[in-house]
Amino acid sequence: MRRLFSRLAPTYAQKLTLLAAVPLVLAVAGIAIVVALQAKALADREINTLENQLIAAKKVELRNYVTQARNGFYFVYGSASPQDDAAKAQVTQILSAMIYGDEGQFFVYDFDGTALVSPRETDRINRNFSGETDSSGTPVVNELIRIARDGGGYHTYLWRKPSTGVEAQMITYVTSFPSWRWAVGTGVFIDDILSSVASARADVLARVQRTFLYIGAITLAALFLVFGTGMLVNLRERRLADAKLKKLTQRVFDAQEEERGRVARELHDGISQILVGVRYALENARRRLDRGDRRAADPLGKGIDSLGQAISEVRRISRDLRPGVLDDLGLGPALKTLVDEFSARTGIACQFNTVVFRNRLDNDAKIALYRIAQEALTNIERHAGASKVIVDLRGHRQGATLEISDNGRGIYGGIQSSGGLGLRNMQERMDQLGGTLSLVAAQGGGTRIKATVPLTHLLPPESSLTTPAPNS
Amino acid sequence: MTNPVKVMIVDDHPMVAEGIQSILESYDDIQVVGCLSNGRAAIDQFEALDPDVILMDLNMPDVGGLSATEIVLERRPDMRIVILSMHDNPEYISSALSHGAMGYILKDVPTDEIKLAIDQVMQGQRYLCTGAQGSLEPKDTAREALTEREQTILLELAQGRANKEVAAILDISVRTVETHRKNIKRKLGISSTAGLTRYAMEHGVLQGTGVRI
Repeated sequence: MRRLFSRLAPTYAQKLTLLAAVPLVLAVAGIAIVVALQAKALADREINTLENQLIAAKKVELRNYVTQARNGFYFVYGSASPQDDAAKAQVTQILSAMIYGDEGQFFVYDFDGTALVSPRETDRINRNFSGETDSSGTPVVNELIRIARDGGGYHTYLWRKPSTGVEAQMITYVTSFPSWRWAVGTGVFIDDILSSVASARADVLARVQRTFLYIGAITLAALFLVFGTGMLVNLRERRLADAKLKKLTQRVFDAQEEERGRVARELHDGISQILVGVRYALENARRRLDRGDRRAADPLGKGIDSLGQAISEVRRISRDLRPGVLDDLGLGPALKTLVDEFSARTGIACQFNTVVFRNRLDNDAKIALYRIAQEALTNIERHAGASKVIVDLRGHRQGATLEISDNGRGIYGGIQSSGGLGLRNMQERMDQLGGTLSLVAAQGGGTRIKATVPLTHLLPPESSLTTPAPNS
Repeated sequence: MTNPVKVMIVDDHPMVAEGIQSILESYDDIQVVGCLSNGRAAIDQFEALDPDVILMDLNMPDVGGLSATEIVLERRPDMRIVILSMHDNPEYISSALSHGAMGYILKDVPTDEIKLAIDQVMQGQRYLCTGAQGSLEPKDTAREALTEREQTILLELAQGRANKEVAAILDISVRTVETHRKNIKRKLGISSTAGLTRYAMEHGVLQGTGVRI
């Protein structure tokens, strides 16, 4: 079931790396956004303040110009009557001469909308512009006159620059010479302010983008670091696992070679020799028969005896490799045989208890439990110094449990620290089956090994039906 | 002269079967009526061949010698069956006897013994190969083990099936099922069917098996 884990599922190492990387990316992204918003807001505020200040300064300047001009003309205007054309001409002349800068000029419209002073656009003089609007539809002349009649003020609109003919935004301050019904004012183009503000804004935007880039680069570096470290760790883990696997494989190979060597030796030294003897005996018998010797039966009999020996030798080797009783009759009888042979060989009293069910375990579980019992009995024989062993096998609601207890020295006199390969094998066998192995000190000295396999290794009732079902 | 003894041989190894057949045919008072290669064939054909003695190999694929022995005996309780085996392990011998065989001989004993075994079971006596005799006294300490058939029937009963259903499933008579049931109860020391179910449950035989309880 664990093996069935989808191939797409990330490994443990990948999960760890993701776990580190995702929050990092999220946090950095959050910080970047907050920083960018804050920086932009701050810059906007500053730029707006600057814009307002610049424009305010321009306005003050404009008003000063106009006030200065009006005060300058007061000696003429203040003493002239509304119909004093000479005085009007004088003022008009002087105002026309008061040009400044590239674009600076004073203008005068009478309250009807006729341009009286326009030194940089002289073609406008004496023409009526009542109702004139700028290109975006803002009323210009009428509005200027209205503001002037109301006591003076500012007006903003689009106007062609006299020097270049390019339209730009202009601020104008206008006031009136009421008795002459004049609106007098001057204006400045504020496109330079606006463009410098715009470039400041662009600057800020660029800086924010740059900040984003820096943060991105730093994040990328951090991610590389995380993934790199993860990969290194992963590689190291895998190398360790590989080494472990290699060692294990070597152990399996060693065990296999040793076993093969033993079997080969037994076949060669035992059975081969016996069969060679049989062959000699048979040939001997044939020679005697050929010669009409009546004693042919002697070597024949000897050959038959030797064959019997060979058969029992094969039986012994086969049983040592894998007890047939385990496959034919099940774990219970196999353990019973093992225990009886153990008792007979070592003289240690050995008792075997089991329930009466047979062949209820699947093959893997049978073999594993059998080998564990074998290993345990070998350990007891070699190390425990026990005089009594109890082997118990039974099924229960959670599975099946094999228990081997002895009254010896306890944990085999500490063998698990030195030659614990056997115990490790037992553990591995149980791990393989999803079972458990426990090793405890038995009451009153000695050791108790308990190996449990889960219910999944117990066969369902149907599959044990070895009986034929003629009707189906 | 009396009629020859009719012998049926069941073994999945042709060399062995032929060897036994040729040896037995050298005796005048023995007639080999059939040479079958597995347990299922033995179950299907023994009634037609009608032997007096069946020589049955223990290890056979599909239906093994022990199961076949039990099923043959369900139909012909008086059939004399001798188990042939390569194993001298006492567990095999006691298993063979508990499944109802009358004899147990190793294949590598002198062939005279096969004849001897046939003669002896024909006289109604058990025959066990030389060397095996000592180990087969029924173990009085341990509980007597259930046979394959008894175990099958126990599992059916424990799942709540009635004698009649079990008889239908296994194609045997209700009376046979009742006999098995009695033997099971005696061997386990249990008196009720509920007890049998509980026993099977407590030993993990019914769980994890697709049987819902």
